[in-house]
Amino acid sequence: MDYPRWYWPAFTATGLIWLVVFFVLPFYVVVSVAFGTVDPFFRTPLPVYQPWWWSFTTFTATLQKFGAGGIYFDPLVRTLQYVVAASAICLVIGYAVAYYTARFAGKRKGLILVLLVAPFWISYLMRIYAWQSLLQPDGYINDFLGIFRIAPVEWLAGKPITVILGLVYGYIPFMILPLFGSLDRINQNLLEAGRDLGASPFQTFRRVTLPLSKPAILAGLVIVSLPMFGDYFTNNLLGTTTTSMYGNLLDNAVGQSGQGPELGSLTLILVALVMIPMLYYLRATKRAAERRT
Amino acid sequence: MSRRDFLLRAGGTAIAVPSLAAILAACQKPGTAPPGDGSSTAVGEIPIANPNNPVLLPMVGEPIAASTPIETDGVLQVYNWDAYFYKKVLKAFEDEYGVKVEWTTFNNMEEGIQKLVAGQVTADVFFPTTDYIRRLVATDKLQPLQHELLPNLPANVWPVFSDPGPWYDLEARYTVPYVIYTTGVAYRRDRVEDAQAAELGYDAFFDPSFKDSVAYYDSYRDALGMMLLRNGVTDPDSTDPAAIGAAKDAILEMINDNGARLAINGTYVKLSEGEVTVSQSWSGDIVGAKYYLPKGTSEDVLGYWYPDDKKGLIGNDTITIPANAPHPRLAHEFLNFFLDEKWGYMNFADWNGYQPPFTSIDPDRLIADGVVAPALAKAVVSEEDFKQGYIQSELTPEADQIWLDAWNEIQAGG
Repeated sequence: MDYPRWYWPAFTATGLIWLVVFFVLPFYVVVSVAFGTVDPFFRTPLPVYQPWWWSFTTFTATLQKFGAGGIYFDPLVRTLQYVVAASAICLVIGYAVAYYTARFAGKRKGLILVLLVAPFWISYLMRIYAWQSLLQPDGYINDFLGIFRIAPVEWLAGKPITVILGLVYGYIPFMILPLFGSLDRINQNLLEAGRDLGASPFQTFRRVTLPLSKPAILAGLVIVSLPMFGDYFTNNLLGTTTTSMYGNLLDNAVGQSGQGPELGSLTLILVALVMIPMLYYLRATKRAAERRT
Repeated sequence: MSRRDFLLRAGGTAIAVPSLAAILAACQKPGTAPPGDGSSTAVGEIPIANPNNPVLLPMVGEPIAASTPIETDGVLQVYNWDAYFYKKVLKAFEDEYGVKVEWTTFNNMEEGIQKLVAGQVTADVFFPTTDYIRRLVATDKLQPLQHELLPNLPANVWPVFSDPGPWYDLEARYTVPYVIYTTGVAYRRDRVEDAQAAELGYDAFFDPSFKDSVAYYDSYRDALGMMLLRNGVTDPDSTDPAAIGAAKDAILEMINDNGARLAINGTYVKLSEGEVTVSQSWSGDIVGAKYYLPKGTSEDVLGYWYPDDKKGLIGNDTITIPANAPHPRLAHEFLNFFLDEKWGYMNFADWNGYQPPFTSIDPDRLIADGVVAPALAKAVVSEEDFKQGYIQSELTPEADQIWLDAWNEIQAGG
């Protein structure tokens, strides 16, 4: 049977409508707020939808605040440090867990996966609240350290390590699941072939398993790091202003009068920032796909 | 972590999405059109009010007729700060009038104003801060009050709020007062002597003996305002970038050198639970803090310092009726109800901690009756205090931006 030319492309319609309604239009509103103005009375944001009326003064001023010496320079550097550290820790721990689950868990595979997903039954906010009470100066963590005669630590007094571990805790399942999916699918015969050809277990891992799981590593890193860039509640609840991240800049601007254009500008700058790892990911996966064919 | 904090955090994230009306209005370049429907009073015609320049707001429309029957259909929509009411008093109002009250909350004034102005929330009763009254009137958002329906205002409330009326609304054309408060320093009396707290005053936030045990309000006008006073600047609405910069540096110093934490619940949660030793505190927060003390802790541990010469920050909140209130007559009853000696007092004494400006409230009796612990005597606000204290009022957009820039630097981690 002969289909009209539009027949197959028409299947993308639902996806396209979804993208337009839930991404393109809201994004245009953000752009219009960023380049817009504020109500002269209440200083609430007044988006400007006509590009010929756009004003870029707030955007440039906001951008300048990220320069060395600007007030947003420190939060930016901090965000990069925390996200890199937290993503790296996620990868190391996540890879080990996924590797064990895929290769050695046997019959308990299902159980481990369920346990990994179990935290999602409780909202992230609630779980961070739980951490907050565990990490109190007189909380269980310090009680436990007391057994080893370690003096109580002020975990919640703006310690970068607390915020980084909070991020790791919150996002690590998103790292484990794609890694597991990939490691689980690796053909056992390939590993056996590696061993047959004289490679040690470590060499087999390095030259067979690791390269085969590289796309999953990249995917996992992208999935965990992108939301970390915009994360504000981890620091709100586990840190202080001295550990402010990019997301906190956004969160603060939301509650202030007259900050609409600045808030929009901050959002656009963040989008540009997270495009960098995203583009790298797309390029890397494209190259990998080309190699396969 | 109380439910109140949870809501505060969760609600604080709500982001404003422009309404359809705003999108339609985009046919004209925004910000250039006169506000409202074009018939409004230009805001420039109403000067910014402050205690030295009281303002008589123009009448926008007429008050409702005193003979308007009480609406008993539908639900009275009340739009107030979170946790700022005693639910039992709302219930009493419902029972007395045979109506339902729906309480919608906001977590900060900007959110409250934004939703009301954009029409996202339609309210019969709204609780704005004094710095927004002028703008709400100029944009036709409030209706003048029918004083015949508010007999409790002259009868129970300090005369300053009805005759001549408060500085932000002479003749009380649009507002009745809700509660009054001072902003001082709360401390744990089991760790700090009263004499020491009195000697330190605002410097308590910087005292190394309280390192990592200091909380300060996460609210820019209150936070910077108190440091202005501490630095000897007596204009709490200062527009001097140097003075604001010095106040900002002081806050950064207490954060970076003394481990101070910014939080809105520093007093009623953190101080009550013993997590901090000193905190910036509204008087109502420390009076209400006893309800947050862990079981078995005496309320004698709570202390409050406010300058002896009463030259500290002081203010009040208001109750208003929006212009488009669906139940204006019932709303008047509601205002009058909260100015009722019994119910207004119960709202304060049994829950809120924030004191209504009633002539019948005698500071000595509050202490004798156990509403306020003896150690918190300085948290009781008297009419006289308003003559000495410093009141913060509306800033021009340019001045506000100076304050916000300083505040954002603090929030960004200095």
